[in-house]
Amino acid sequence: MATDAVAVAPERSNGPTPRRRMSRQERQNLVTGLLFISPWIIGFLAFLVYPFYETIRLSFTKYNGIRDPEWIGLDNYRTMATDDLFWKVLFNTLYYTGLAVPVGVVAAMLMALCMNQNVREQPIYRAILYLPSIIPVFALSFVFLNLMDPTYGIVNRLMVDIGLPNINWFGDPAYGKIAFVILAQFGAGQAALIFLAGLKGIPQHLYEAASIDGAGNLRKFWNITLPMMTPIILYDLILGLSLGIQIFTQVVILTSPPGSPVNSNLMYVNYIYGLVFRDFRSGYASALALVLFLITVVLALVIFRWSRSWVNYETV
Amino acid sequence: MAKSLPLDTVQQPARNETARKANWRRFARKQIVPRLFLIPFVAFFLLPFYWMVAVAFKPIPELSIVPPTFFPSEWRWANFADATRVFPFWQYFQNTLVITFLTVLGAAISNPIIAYGFSRIEWPGRDKIFALVLATVFVPYPVLIVSLYDIYSRLDWVNTILPLVVPLFFGNAFWIFLMRQFFMRIPRELGEAARLDGASEIRILFQIILPQSYAAISVVCLFAALHAWNDFLGPYLYLQKEDSYTLAIGLTFFRSASQYDVQYNLLMAASALVVLPVVVLFLAFQRFFIEGVQVGSFK
Amino acid sequence: MEKVTSRGLTLLKDTKLSRRKALTGAAGLGIAAAGAATFAPRRAPYVKGQAKTQLQFWTGFTDPDLATLRKIVEQYNAQSTSYEVIVTQLAPAEVTDNTRLITAVRGGDSPDIYHMDRFTVASNAANGLVQPISEFVDEAVRATYLPFAMEEVTYDGQIWGMPLDTDARALYYNIGVLREAGIDPTEFDQSNGPVTWDRLLEVANMASVRDANGTYSRVGFVPYANQAWHYTYGFSWGAQFYDEANCAVTPDDPKMVEAMQWVYDACASMDANAISAWETPRRVPGFPPQQGSLVTQGVAFEVTGDWMINQYAQYAPTAEYGITYLPVPQAGMSSATWSGGWSMVVPEGSTNAEGAVDFISYMCGEPGQRIYTTDTRHLPTITSLTTDPSLYTELSSFFAAQLLPTSNNRPPLPVGSKYWDEMTSAYQAIYLNEAQPAQALATAKENTQADLQQFC
Repeated sequence: MATDAVAVAPERSNGPTPRRRMSRQERQNLVTGLLFISPWIIGFLAFLVYPFYETIRLSFTKYNGIRDPEWIGLDNYRTMATDDLFWKVLFNTLYYTGLAVPVGVVAAMLMALCMNQNVREQPIYRAILYLPSIIPVFALSFVFLNLMDPTYGIVNRLMVDIGLPNINWFGDPAYGKIAFVILAQFGAGQAALIFLAGLKGIPQHLYEAASIDGAGNLRKFWNITLPMMTPIILYDLILGLSLGIQIFTQVVILTSPPGSPVNSNLMYVNYIYGLVFRDFRSGYASALALVLFLITVVLALVIFRWSRSWVNYETV
Repeated sequence: MAKSLPLDTVQQPARNETARKANWRRFARKQIVPRLFLIPFVAFFLLPFYWMVAVAFKPIPELSIVPPTFFPSEWRWANFADATRVFPFWQYFQNTLVITFLTVLGAAISNPIIAYGFSRIEWPGRDKIFALVLATVFVPYPVLIVSLYDIYSRLDWVNTILPLVVPLFFGNAFWIFLMRQFFMRIPRELGEAARLDGASEIRILFQIILPQSYAAISVVCLFAALHAWNDFLGPYLYLQKEDSYTLAIGLTFFRSASQYDVQYNLLMAASALVVLPVVVLFLAFQRFFIEGVQVGSFK
Repeated sequence: MEKVTSRGLTLLKDTKLSRRKALTGAAGLGIAAAGAATFAPRRAPYVKGQAKTQLQFWTGFTDPDLATLRKIVEQYNAQSTSYEVIVTQLAPAEVTDNTRLITAVRGGDSPDIYHMDRFTVASNAANGLVQPISEFVDEAVRATYLPFAMEEVTYDGQIWGMPLDTDARALYYNIGVLREAGIDPTEFDQSNGPVTWDRLLEVANMASVRDANGTYSRVGFVPYANQAWHYTYGFSWGAQFYDEANCAVTPDDPKMVEAMQWVYDACASMDANAISAWETPRRVPGFPPQQGSLVTQGVAFEVTGDWMINQYAQYAPTAEYGITYLPVPQAGMSSATWSGGWSMVVPEGSTNAEGAVDFISYMCGEPGQRIYTTDTRHLPTITSLTTDPSLYTELSSFFAAQLLPTSNNRPPLPVGSKYWDEMTSAYQAIYLNEAQPAQALATAKENTQADLQQFC
């Protein structure tokens, strides 16, 4: 309800202005707009277009990364269809992302609400909640292992005490991806910070007005906080999608060889990395990278299209 | 955001029983209930950091106790001094600081300007190009490594900090997106009025929009600083002289190449030292962005 | 001699030339390039003439081993009239991760000498990362090295580097743990020769401790812990891993299948899931060696290498332990082990292969290896040094004198790392009891062979 009331799609018109002036205005706006984004355009051309073009070109070649590439047409793409490992890593990665993204949004929101509690020692809480996001990933992984060790880990002991099975997180092929989702929540502080900045930006008078109307905390959250946070939730969804699809480091740190056991935790980017730097198959890796890129772009487009029905820009 | 002052309320002589009860309820609701949730939640998130510090203090024999001890039997401060001798800590610290400073500078200048162009000015094709910006975050990086290295090598940038710093002056898709999301929440009328008065877009950005966006800018700066401070792959590929290495590279020196041994307590001690400046930075930034929002919300 | 040098030179010149051209052509890069010209310090050119020629040496080693490398480099520099070696320490990465070298070779920033895991030499050679140095290494010199070490740097009939150090795997037994379980440890004395794998398992099970939930708090012997790899069992059973005549990998060798069947059954008999719950956290690459099973008295037996002697001394100085031959499949068979180690190579793009080999011959020759063995306690690869009593303690001489002369090596293949990882994947499926050995090994064969085919 609140969403409909304030939703204004950003693409819509500037309001009523005479036609002729608008087109001149438009031209002027185009120049100004392009000037503002020109740093990005330069950087984009210099640091992305060329390497990306290379990737496209190499995806049609057999190339070991050192010697000259050899043109093989669509062979790499044909290989993919019969490459069992490709389908497996694609499944693993989508499975992980599909879990990690929604869980991540909820975790970040919860954490941001904690960070927004108006208590005196709040700065300390905020710092602590944010801490795991900045400690080096191997230190974090080491602690995580200790906590979730099936023999003496606190988490596993607790699980056994309340009657749950003693899960062998990284040894049982069924649980590794879930363990990675849990591990990722230690880093929710990053996203929570953005959520917090968003919460701080919600005008207080909206809450005051709601209080006068007799709304409770839950209703305020549902009718004010959530709609006002939608642009940031959208941001976090896209960020989460990109980070989720490109999960890499944790896998290298926690499994050996990366993706163990039996490739149940092998993720797409780890597969690509191994192809480039272990197997000298840069051509095939390029093709895989492009496919991953296309899949993610499609997913992102779906999220954006869907977001039109719930994202709410502009306050009041 | 006025701080609630429970002591004042309590000190006032209670006129009657109901008022006191109401006061008490208010006190419980504002002061106790939130902490009941906060403290256990926060304690859980403190674990990794605590663990890192605890291991950092342990003497070597204690590392071999199973299950690991929660409190070190002896707080061995010398581990920290020892850790800084495994690699030239202060030299790498300085190198990292320079890279971080330039990175933050680049991010703070470029992202708000670019984001402004994507949010506060209407121009044909804007949203299509913005989609392109977003698409770039989905390019998997391992395949770009070799091509990018080629470019930097042609430019003769290898062995300098330029590949690590220069790209940041051209915006980062995530941070552009983040700034844009914040700019779009600012009421349209704020810019319109100034525009009708003939203010240039750049003036609107600096005098009207930016003062509303301290929170977002400080978040971007913090993220940029973190990115530079912790980046491993960039320095690993492009800095080939030992005296130009960064802390992230130094941290790997605790592991022997044959991987049969790791000086774990020293590794954790060094990690704690590396994290320390970031924690300080965070505490400083935190005040900054909360005050920033408060200034904005008065208007 | 000159041939290689001049080939390297032309190669470098060509790339430089094309690089300049590409730079002028790339309009999109124009602005960035202008910026670079003002900031970028040029790489100092090599000093020529009266001064010694500088050679760049990259190593991913860290102290204390790095300190020894530097010491040997200093001695070399002091005695060489024509070269000066400059050491650069790289961040240690996974040994199979060639990121740094690939980018450097591609970018024309190659060092002259690179410290490389011997296991990856063949694949790096096959893919053009390394220069052959056969013409600089006499047949007589080659013969002074342990055969398996020399074989690892040989590929396609050429020599691609020189071996520096090596290691070997053996069975460690924890005397304290055995006594606690009421087992007489003398059965495992070296002088009694190897026991059978079955006997090992039988004794080990007596030392295991499990709680009511079935969780192990001590495991007598984890069949796949530490260095008890697929190769370890394969060599023990006498399997062949490569069929040179047919250019085929053979992880499905019947002897290998038999070996893996033993692992499968052993894990099944101990409850594969319970063993995995114990062992998995310890297999994580970042797991601290200080909490390894042997050090913390968590196991009675473990297959591991000579380096464990140092770790015992450092982390469990009072522990009582013994070292013996790896077990055998059947009584009367001879025990087999395998070794790896490091080498020095000349990367593609180095313009001074002759100088680089001059240094490598010193470092990997007797002068270098003597210092290296004494200081780092790694094992040497020069045959005559393995029996020199002045280089070893009582414990480490077992590895050098008894194990090295007959040790095996993993086949030097252009797909060596891939082969390892594929077999590991199969091995995991086997020890977790998720797949039958024959079927898992067949998959490993299929996947590896697909990559190998292009080199046949």
